Amino acid sequence: MDPQPELTKQATQPPPASHLHLFDRSSPQKELAQCNRAVEDAHRLAAIVESSDDAIIAKDLNGIIMNWNRAAERIFGYAAEEVIGKPVTILMPPERENEEPGILRRIRSGERVDHYETVRRRKDGTLLDISLTVSPIRNAEGQIVGASKIARDITERKRADRELREMRDELARANEDLERRVEERTASLTEAIAQMEEFSYSVSHDLRAPVRAMHAYAQALIEDYGERLDEEGRDFLQRILRGSSRMDRLIQDVLVYSRLARADLHFSQINLDRLVMEIVQNYPDIQPPKVQVDVAQPLLGVVGHEPSLVQAVSNLLGNAAKFVAPGTTPHIRVSTERRGRLVRLWVEDNGIGIKREHQSRLFGMFQRVHADRRYEGTGIGLAIVRKAAERMGGRVGVESDGISGSRFWLELPAVD
Amino acid sequence: MKSGPAPANFPVSTETKSILLVEDNEDDVFIMRRVMQKARINLPLHVAGHGAEALDYLTGKGKYANRTEYPLPSVIFLDLKMPYLDGFEVLKRMRGIPGVDQIPVIVLTSSPEQRDRETAELLGARGFRVKPPTGDMIGEVLQSVCGLSDFCA
Repeated sequence: MDPQPELTKQATQPPPASHLHLFDRSSPQKELAQCNRAVEDAHRLAAIVESSDDAIIAKDLNGIIMNWNRAAERIFGYAAEEVIGKPVTILMPPERENEEPGILRRIRSGERVDHYETVRRRKDGTLLDISLTVSPIRNAEGQIVGASKIARDITERKRADRELREMRDELARANEDLERRVEERTASLTEAIAQMEEFSYSVSHDLRAPVRAMHAYAQALIEDYGERLDEEGRDFLQRILRGSSRMDRLIQDVLVYSRLARADLHFSQINLDRLVMEIVQNYPDIQPPKVQVDVAQPLLGVVGHEPSLVQAVSNLLGNAAKFVAPGTTPHIRVSTERRGRLVRLWVEDNGIGIKREHQSRLFGMFQRVHADRRYEGTGIGLAIVRKAAERMGGRVGVESDGISGSRFWLELPAVD
Repeated sequence: MKSGPAPANFPVSTETKSILLVEDNEDDVFIMRRVMQKARINLPLHVAGHGAEALDYLTGKGKYANRTEYPLPSVIFLDLKMPYLDGFEVLKRMRGIPGVDQIPVIVLTSSPEQRDRETAELLGARGFRVKPPTGDMIGEVLQSVCGLSDFCA
């Protein structure tokens, strides 16, 4: 092992004589040259030590401080003359003093202590975090005579670590808080949905009963007492009948809408040819001779919730058959068209059309765009169509010039 | 109230055909009577005003012990939403009563709620119809569920 100059504030002085025995003494000139070179080396090494950012300290095997560089002065606050000759334990907070025997033991057996993170105390009593590397110092004979300690001030890094940890903890707390709030919201939403369901259930049961009674008694009145009433009296009863029928339709439509809005929908592949045919078969109002329905078979398949789609397509076909000028036989054409990943189902009619300015609110709740009594409806049918389409990942729309028929469309995901 | 199965006092009569309507709403009772009358369905209609009364009727409790006046029905039309004992509870309790558990029950309710339909079926109801009843509806039930065909006057 190469001899090492002692690391010391006095290292700017020539190296101690004990190091000179390795010099070649064969000629005074050589000896002088070698000596000069050694002095230069020592100076250079000392300069490196002095300019280091890390504290570099030498101690003997009893833990007594022998050398102390400028960074050590800066980091620990002691001037060299204050600490040289003192035990290194003055740098240790009391609870850390027990580290020293272990370090010295390892040094004596020739081991290094690498990047050991610990706490030390400045002259002013404040604590600092350091990373410590302690290596044995050997003399010319290779005997371990002391240790060099390189102490790096890691207070900043530790503080950053601490802040990072605190931020992590805070984030975790915020997360927990958020999760708790989401749980609470979910619970209150679930409760609101349950209440909503209870409400619509009650609507269907309790609101329909008096309407049913009103209708039944008005009907009985007309049947049993109609002849004893004059024309006006019978007209009043007819109006009660119409009103109660309409009320019942409204309640049922609202129920269909709310059920559609909250139901769990199970999707499957749907054959539109079959679905449209079954709807036409089930509704005499859209069958010949009243209505002519042309289906451009084969219709493309879609993915959706079949009961919802039946509801939506029934409403579109029913509207197409209903909104025609007097004396006109409704003519409905049903077709499909591929549009990217969607299939557009067209329902075209030869009806009275929808003016452009009404088209935007057509699919809203309780919206009616025809004042004529002949076209009376609940104003919910198309809202149901739109809700159904949206719940199935599709959309609805209409094209009409307001004179010659309407072209309603319903888009749903295509099969495949 | 005493719960649990109790035996019917009399076996189902094969001679007297009748209908039991379990319904708490008088207006709905009126509608049923009226519809049967209009459709000329000529079977006696007995009415229990709520679920507990229906069970009294079916188990022959009190005045219902008189089976001449209150015969076990050939079919029961059962409302669901009733005070004290709802329709589902009536269905449940009927199942444990020998003789009574064989009587076909048609649930007659105000809305086509899918969950009600499923529960009714699970509890052994033979049919599920939505109010108001019509002559065709009752006729169809009598024919398909009870095998009756000569109920019209």
